[in-house]
Order: sequence, then structure tokens, then C-alpha cells
Amino acid sequence: MKMKKVLAVALAAGMVMSMAPVASAADDNVITIWVADNMVDLTIEYATAYLEENYPDYTIDVQAVGEGDAASNMITDVEGGADIYAFAQDQKARLVSAGALSELSDYYAEWVAENNDAGSVAAVQNGESTYAFPITSDNGYFLYYDSSVISDPTSVEAILADCEAAGKGFYFSVDNGWYNVATFFGAGCTLTYSADESGTYTECTIDYASDAGVVGMKGLIQIASSSAFYAGNSIGDATNVAAIVDGTWDSSAAQEVFGDNYACTKLPTFTVDDTTYQMYNFGGYKMLGVKPQTDENKALACFDLAQYLSDAEVQLARFEAEGWGPSSLTAQADEAVQENAALSALAEQSEFAIPQGDYPDDYWTVSEALGKDIVAGTYNDYTDEQLLEVLTDFQNQCLAAVTG
Amino acid sequence: MSQQKQSLSVRMSKGFTRIGRNIAEIGTTFKEGDWTAKLSFVIMGFGQLVHKQFLRGIIFLGTELLFIYYMVTFGAEYVSKLPTLGTVETYVDKSGKIPLTVYGDNSFLILLYGILTIFVIVAFIFMWRMNVGQQRQIQKLKECGKNLPTTRDDLKSLLNEHFAATLLAVPNVGVFVFIILPIIFMVCIAFTNYDANHQPPTNLFWWVGLENFKNLFSTGSSGYGGTFLQVLAWTLVWAFFATFLNFFLGLGVAIMINKKGIKFKKLWRTILVMTIAVPQFVSLLYMYKMFANDGLVNTYLLKWGLIQTYIPFWTYATSSRILIILINVWIGVPYMMLMTTGILMNIPEDLYESARIDGANAWQMFRKITLPYMFFVLGPYLLTSFTGNLNNFNVIYLLTQGQPTTMSMSGGAGGTDLLITWLYKLTVNDTNYRLAAVIGIMVFAVTAIISLVVYRILPSVRDEEGFQ
Amino acid sequence: MNEKKLRSKSGHDRMLNTIIYIVLILMSIIWLFPFVGLVLQSFRSYATEYGGMVAYFVPKEFSLDNYTWLLTDSGSSFPRWYLNTLTIAIFVAIINTIMIVAVAYALSRSRFAGRTFMMQLWLILGMFPGFLTMICLYFLLKQMGLTQAGAIPGLILVTCASSGMGYYVCKGYFDTIPKALDEAARIDGASNARIMLTIIMPLTKPIIIYTALTAFMAPWCDYVFASYVAFGYSDSYNVAVALTRWVWTNDYQGYYTRFCAGGVLVAIPVTILFMCLQKYYVEGVTGGAVKG
Repeated sequence: MKMKKVLAVALAAGMVMSMAPVASAADDNVITIWVADNMVDLTIEYATAYLEENYPDYTIDVQAVGEGDAASNMITDVEGGADIYAFAQDQKARLVSAGALSELSDYYAEWVAENNDAGSVAAVQNGESTYAFPITSDNGYFLYYDSSVISDPTSVEAILADCEAAGKGFYFSVDNGWYNVATFFGAGCTLTYSADESGTYTECTIDYASDAGVVGMKGLIQIASSSAFYAGNSIGDATNVAAIVDGTWDSSAAQEVFGDNYACTKLPTFTVDDTTYQMYNFGGYKMLGVKPQTDENKALACFDLAQYLSDAEVQLARFEAEGWGPSSLTAQADEAVQENAALSALAEQSEFAIPQGDYPDDYWTVSEALGKDIVAGTYNDYTDEQLLEVLTDFQNQCLAAVTG
Repeated sequence: MSQQKQSLSVRMSKGFTRIGRNIAEIGTTFKEGDWTAKLSFVIMGFGQLVHKQFLRGIIFLGTELLFIYYMVTFGAEYVSKLPTLGTVETYVDKSGKIPLTVYGDNSFLILLYGILTIFVIVAFIFMWRMNVGQQRQIQKLKECGKNLPTTRDDLKSLLNEHFAATLLAVPNVGVFVFIILPIIFMVCIAFTNYDANHQPPTNLFWWVGLENFKNLFSTGSSGYGGTFLQVLAWTLVWAFFATFLNFFLGLGVAIMINKKGIKFKKLWRTILVMTIAVPQFVSLLYMYKMFANDGLVNTYLLKWGLIQTYIPFWTYATSSRILIILINVWIGVPYMMLMTTGILMNIPEDLYESARIDGANAWQMFRKITLPYMFFVLGPYLLTSFTGNLNNFNVIYLLTQGQPTTMSMSGGAGGTDLLITWLYKLTVNDTNYRLAAVIGIMVFAVTAIISLVVYRILPSVRDEEGFQ
Repeated sequence: MNEKKLRSKSGHDRMLNTIIYIVLILMSIIWLFPFVGLVLQSFRSYATEYGGMVAYFVPKEFSLDNYTWLLTDSGSSFPRWYLNTLTIAIFVAIINTIMIVAVAYALSRSRFAGRTFMMQLWLILGMFPGFLTMICLYFLLKQMGLTQAGAIPGLILVTCASSGMGYYVCKGYFDTIPKALDEAARIDGASNARIMLTIIMPLTKPIIIYTALTAFMAPWCDYVFASYVAFGYSDSYNVAVALTRWVWTNDYQGYYTRFCAGGVLVAIPVTILFMCLQKYYVEGVTGGAVKG
């Protein structure tokens, strides 16, 4: 009997609790913005000024949510996510298919196409549709090094020899799909996915299971088997660094670590079976997206604000604050931008860059697994045929991301 | 086998009789009741109010009003959509100056609030039945000429005869809303196609039956069966070591510190216990970096010339696993040391005395007296900590996040992934909820079976009353 | 002969003790090593040695840079996060204790229909992988307005709501208190509630302190669910969410020493409490486990 009573009281109270859903509707006059931590202050400054002048009814709430987290957060709960948020381009298709990105109307799409470099314009499009405002054109990597240790930064072999001699490390994320394309693309492989307007992956072009693929793989294996090799791409965490493959976002940290010996240049070459290949990189972009809006006035405010925040003026401010390389043609023409060391290293590399398209999560997962296996030395004694087998398996898994 | 079947059918027939009895009683209540009782069938709590049982009356009436309000404004809509999980698609209205999104049905919320509403309905029926039962009680007491319990009596009984009910009410509500409801929800997800391509609010998802279970068990290219087994095996190995290695080492340390003639007992204990006080996310992240290729350990070993090249602790699955188990010893031994210390002091000294007279040596005494006593006392604790370790998310995730991944495992699972951390990656990184829900059910089955079996054979549980 | 045996035994014993001392000293070093390393790194000078990771144990220059940055810099929300966590911890400690004691007492002292069912059901429920239900809980909380800006009360609610399931050790402790005490009081006419509050509770100080202490410590490590509920709203972060971001996200270069300093600050209240209440903790946990 007692148990019954307990149950009854419990259920009654449960009912009351479930009535509680008096959902506190989010304040509709606040525009939430997610940007990386080091951009928060800057964004507040510019966005507040802009809204005061043009949309005085709206206020902003800027939160530090890194480009990586933003996408997964948006996908968890679109409604609770930010109105405007920054993300890296590889997340675009996923965000579109989850309904977390609003398509740009023709007016904005034309503006984006006119004012930004061609690569970044391609990066914000899926099919015919444009989904975001590009803000940087520098999401690629190159080589930072300590000029007192590294005498010849042009070839991996020389870098590794110098590092081994000095007991220092060469950091390169072989276990990361974004970095380990360097040797595969360098050897002449291709790997692209294409997605349609709804963010669904429709096609995958890949030829890793080929002689070129084996060359790329051997390049990675050679690097990973050196005693000076460390897997890593974050210079602040590298305790024994003489050279690291990293991007512009770490340029100030790199200057701290290397001090007077700070230097940077394009990626080195690597030699497999007496042939020398140049490492390639991904030319990537960061962009601002607007989440699907239901209120016309707010939608207008959001799009205008996002447009302003991706305009040359604010892009230059980002460059001055943290060295982010602009995508705006006007900003790129600025003198200071042209003279920046890290950006010119990236420019040198741009000749050997593959513009980054959309890549599904499955690709990052599989390529990480391949990289981890390489780092663990699983393939060190493999023959070319065996490597080809591994790559065929890899290729099939990459293809499965589309068909599956 | 046949016996079990019989007991099941007996149980079922018992259940039916009970339902029948209930219906019969409701019938008699209506037939024999006066007009207040009859009206109470529609207006709950009416009879109680008329008979001055104000608290009961108000509760029942309030419940009914709340229920109606709830169903009209909220519940009915969701329940009616439950079979399809929504049909109205989201679309983008491009007619205006700017594309605007018009949201359709949200399958997720339909499922969640649909289940919630079903429970509310069940709860309401239950309350209604109770209401009818009380009319019967009023009737009977009046026939016998006895006084009806007043509000005062009711309140008093909550502090005395029904005190357990008072104590358990809030905890039960909590468990119900925040544990049971979500679990049922997740079990339902296992039968839908909720994944990255069917993501509310923009896309609908729907029921797909047993498809997800089939995918898990097919070992083909799209199946996760092989990986599931590999991860499961390591999960079991890990839980075994994490529980029993810690237990024995903790016991060993406790015995050492407790040994007669060892000084500064308190100091040793305090040093070990300090590690409990440092939050795990701090100490584990520090430990991870410590054993990195360019971490403290490798750097000093290199500097002292003990090794020529760094030891890649976290690179190989096996070395990572060993290291994780060892680091877990670092975390767990202080707890075990504290527990076993207390119990060691509780073991009656005369047991050892008589053993010594019989000529037993230290090892024999440990095996014949200390260990059995420990196991008896700590049995339930070891069981809970074993199942706890099966689901030990923090240690693995804060250390390696399941790395290193390898081509030989699918679904992004890594060499040190427990089922639980793999699940986490599937849900949070890949939003593959359908697969995660299926694996979750499997994990649940494994842990539940293991622990129920062990739980039933534990002497200290079987003997619950005997101990008091 | 007898004397000789004794002496050899004591010699044997002395050697054993020496070995034990050596083992204990080694263990102390291993167990304290990360702790000391953390403290040392937290005092590393940010100005001269940057805040990134390094491979040496003792900093070249000591300073309070990291602590001043954490506590006073305008770019640091650490005090806010700390306060959030402390608020959660205090509320959780109080409410959890009440819930657990209530459940444990009811299960230990009353025999009612459905009791065994309830105990077994709860045992099984506890084995369901918790965070699978995270997304569901998130939307339940969201419906009540307890996510993002309201994440702190939301976290307290979720943590406390199901805390009754952890009644195990506490019930074990109550079971060891003789029932004769209750009967005597009942004969004197005391109600069940009165018996609990005036007779049993005073005898259970160790287990209550143990329960409160464990509950207080948990929120400092709550990473997974807290990060889910706070959801891109940094004012609602707790220390675990905020500090792990510094280590895991590439946006935060050179935050390592700050992480260490934050970790030390987090460890302080828990360590102090633990040191003061260690006696009760041991009594509570062993007393409870004896009966399980």
C-alpha cells in the first residue's frame, strides 16, 4: 500500500513537473554571435557600433566558441545556437544538411562573389547556392622553424637530419586528415567530395589506391620513423620544437616560442625512391554563417551584420589583432598584409595548395585512423603491394562516406 | 525451463485476475455509492470535499484540472503525432526580401513529449483509480459508522505510518523524470533513423523497426559487429583490472601502513589521500601530458641517458592500455586504502590469535581470514565499482579520448575506447544517435546481466535481514 | 634457544619494516609527483617563459603571473566559473545529502510492498550509460528554461534529482544502527519522523559528512554534461568545462600554466575540506561498506 502511495505522489508530482514547460522564449532582440576566443573583444566593438547605427532595436551577445566546437554545438540544438557564428569550411556541408545554415539571398551572394578571392567564394558555395560570408583566406599550413637549428628548411630529409643532430623535434600531424594530405597531394593524388544544395554528399573522387598513393604513404612513413618526429600541430604544446607544420593562427605563439630565431616558409619537399616531391597543403577558409531565421526583421539585421563583419574593414582589424589573413580583395591589397611573414609563407605555398572543398566526418575519422597506424609503425615493413592494399581499403572507406 | 514458463503464465493469469478485480471493484463502487461518489467518477475529489477531506479533495480536483489543461494545451498534439513522428516538412520561404525558414514538425520533440504525455496519462488513470478507491473507503467507513480520516489525520500519517512514502516521494519523482523517461526515450531512438541525415528540426526522422540492430550485427563493410566485440573485450579487461588491481594494491598498502611498528601512519595516509582531493580533470590531463612523446617523463629519461629515443607511450594501443591501468591505480589505490584500512581494524583480533596458535603463518592467515572477510564485506562495493568501471568515462576520455584509432576498427573507435567513450563520440561528434542507442542497449544488457548474476550470489546481499 | 629465535624474528621484522618504509617513501614520491609538478608549473613566470607546455619540472623563474591573470585580468572569467562551480557544489552537497539520507533511511527502516522491486530497479537503472540520455535531458531542461543562461540551476536540478539512487553506502550505515533504539522510542509514543530526526540522525554524523563531502567533490569534475548544458554560454561554464577547453582547443595557445594555476585553485577548497573531514570520511565509508 505504501508503495502505491509513493507511486501516486510521485506520478502526481511528475505531472506537475511536466507542466512546467513554460518555455522561456529566447529574447528576440538579441543577436548571439559565436567567434573564437581571441576575436570576442574585437567583434563586440565592431558589432555594437554597427547595430547602434543601423539597427538600434537589436543588441548583441558575443560568446567565445571556437570554430571547431561551433559546428557540433549548432547541430546539437539549432534553436539554442548562435544567430551568427564562425566556422571552418569543412563543416559547411554538415551544417547545411543539419539545417543550421541559412542560404544567402542573391543580393548577399553577389556581394560575396564580387568582394572576395575566388577560392573563398568557391568555398562558401554548395552547388549554385551560397551559404556563408568568408572572413579569412589563410586556413592553410606551412612550416615554422627555428633558424638556429634548421639550416635548410626546403627538404624534409634535411630538416629531420638537423633535428636529430640537435636532439630537437619536427612536429607534423601525420595522424590528422587535414595535414596528412600534404604528401598524398604532393605525389599527385586527388581527393575531393562534392555536396549538393541540401548538404548531402553526392560524389567522391579519390585515387589513393595507386602508385602515387603509395609514394605519398611512403613519404609519411619515412617522416614518422625518424627519431626527431613528433605528431602535433599546436606550437604552444610542443616542448621540444625546432620545426612545426602549423598555420597563421599560431603565428604569435610561434614568435613567443622561437623568439629571435623565428622563421617560416613554405612546406618542404620529400624524397621517395630518389624522386623529390613538393608537399602540398589545403587552402582553407573560415567563414561566418547565419542560422535559419524565422523573423524577417531579425533576419535582415543578422545578414547585414554578418556582411559587415566579413567586410574589408573588419577583416583588416582581425589581421592587425591576430594576424588572420583576409579573404577580401580590398584587404588583401593592404600593404601591411602583403608584408606579413607568415602570410607570405602561405602565399609561397599557395602555388602548391589544393583549395579545400567539403569533406564528410567519415573522411576525417578514417584518415586519422590511417595516420595513427602510420605513427604506430604498423606499415614500416610493408612492401609496395601491401601498402597498396591498405590504401585500397582506405579508399573504399572514403567512398563509403558517400554511398553509405 | 517448463517451470519458468509455468511461473510466467501463472504470473500473467494473476495479473489478469488483478485487473478483473479492479474493474469489479470500480463497478461496485459506482453501483453502491451515493450520488457524491458517482459524481466523483467525473469530478475527481468531489466526494472527498463533500466529506470534508479537504486536502485529498483539492489534490484530486487539482490533478484533474491540471491534466485537462495539460492535454488541451500541450499533450494531445504530441501523442497524436507519435505513430508517425511528424509529417510536416520544414521549408524555406523565399518569397520575401530574405529567405525565411518555416519549421515543420520536430520529430525529436514529438517523441520526447509524446512519451512524457503517455506517462502523464498513465499517472492520471492511476490517480483516478485511487480516487475511486477512496470513494469506496468513504462508503465502507460510513456503513460501519466510523469517522473518516481528516486532513489532519492524513498529514499526521505522512509523518508516521506513511513516513517512508514521504521520504521517497521526491527521490522517486526525480528518478522518474530524469532517469526513467530519458532511458525509455533512448530505447525508442534505437528503433528510429535519427542520425546526421535526419536531424530535427530541419529534417524529420521516423520509425525503422529493427534495422539498426541488423546493422550492428552484420559484419560486412557497413556493419560494426567486429569493432563492437573488440571494444567490448577491452572494456571487460579494463573493468577487471581497474577493480581488482586497485583492490589488491589498496589492501596491500593498507596492510603495510597498519603493520605494527610502522611509524607516521597518519602521514602516509594523508599523502595518498591528497590525490583524491585534486579534481580528476586536472590530474588526468596533467598525467597525459606527462607521458607525451615530448612530455616530462621522456625528456628526463633522455636527458639522463636512460633511453636513446623517446618512448611513444600513447602511440600503441597496448602501451596506452597498460599506462591507463597504471594511472588508474594511482587514482584508485587511495580510496581502496581508506576502505580496507577501516575494515582491517574491524576484523576481530581473536581470529588471528587462534590461527596463530594453530601454527598458521602470515600468508595463510591473509588467505584464510583477511581475504574472505574483505570479500564478504566489500563484495557489493566491488560489484558496483566493477560496473562503474565498465562505464568509467572520465579516466579514459580525459587521458586518451579513446586514441589511438586504427584502420582495423570502424566507427572511429580507438584502441583504448571503452564502449561508453565510443558511444560518446558517436553521439556528440557524429550525431549518429541511432547507432549509439543500439550500442547503449547492448552495454546496458552486458552490465545488467553481469551485475544481477553476481548480485544474487553475494552472501552479504542474500543475507540482508540476517545482518541486522 | 628461545631467546635466539625471538631475536632472529625481530631482526627479520626490522628488515621487513625497512622494506615497507622504502616502498612507502617511493609511493609517496610517485603519488605526490604530479601534484608538485602542477603547483610548480602554476608559479612559472608567464612574462619570461611564456605559458606553453615545457619539458622541465622546475620553472626557471617563479612568479604569480598566472594567478594574477586568472583572478584580475579583464579577459579572464575564472572568478565567475569558480563561483559557478562553488554554487553548484554547495547546493548539490546539501540537497543530495538530504535526498540520500531520506532514501537510505526509508529503505533501511521500513518494509513496504515494492521495496525490493524499487531497489532492484534502481540498481539496474544505474547501469544504463548515463550520457546517452544527455541529449534528452538537455531538451527537458531547455523546456524548463534551464539551459545556457539557466544552466547552473539546471545542473543542480539534474544532479540532485537522481541522487537518491546513490543510497547504497548510506543505507549500509543505517543498517548497522540497532533497531532496538527505534522500538524503544516507539513505545514512548514517538512518531517515525521524530525517531529519525532526534534519535537516528545524531548517531550518523560520519555518514552524513561522507555523503556531503562526496557530493561536494563531484561537481568540480563534471565535464561532460556541464559542457552540454552550458552550450556556448561561457558565463554558465564550470571550472572543468572552462579549463579543459584551454588544454584541448587550439584557440588557447600558451594557456598551460594558467590551466595549472586554475587547477591548483580548484584543488584548494576540496583539499582543505578533505583534510579536515578525513576522519569522518573513513568512518562513513567503512561503516557503510561493512554492511553494503
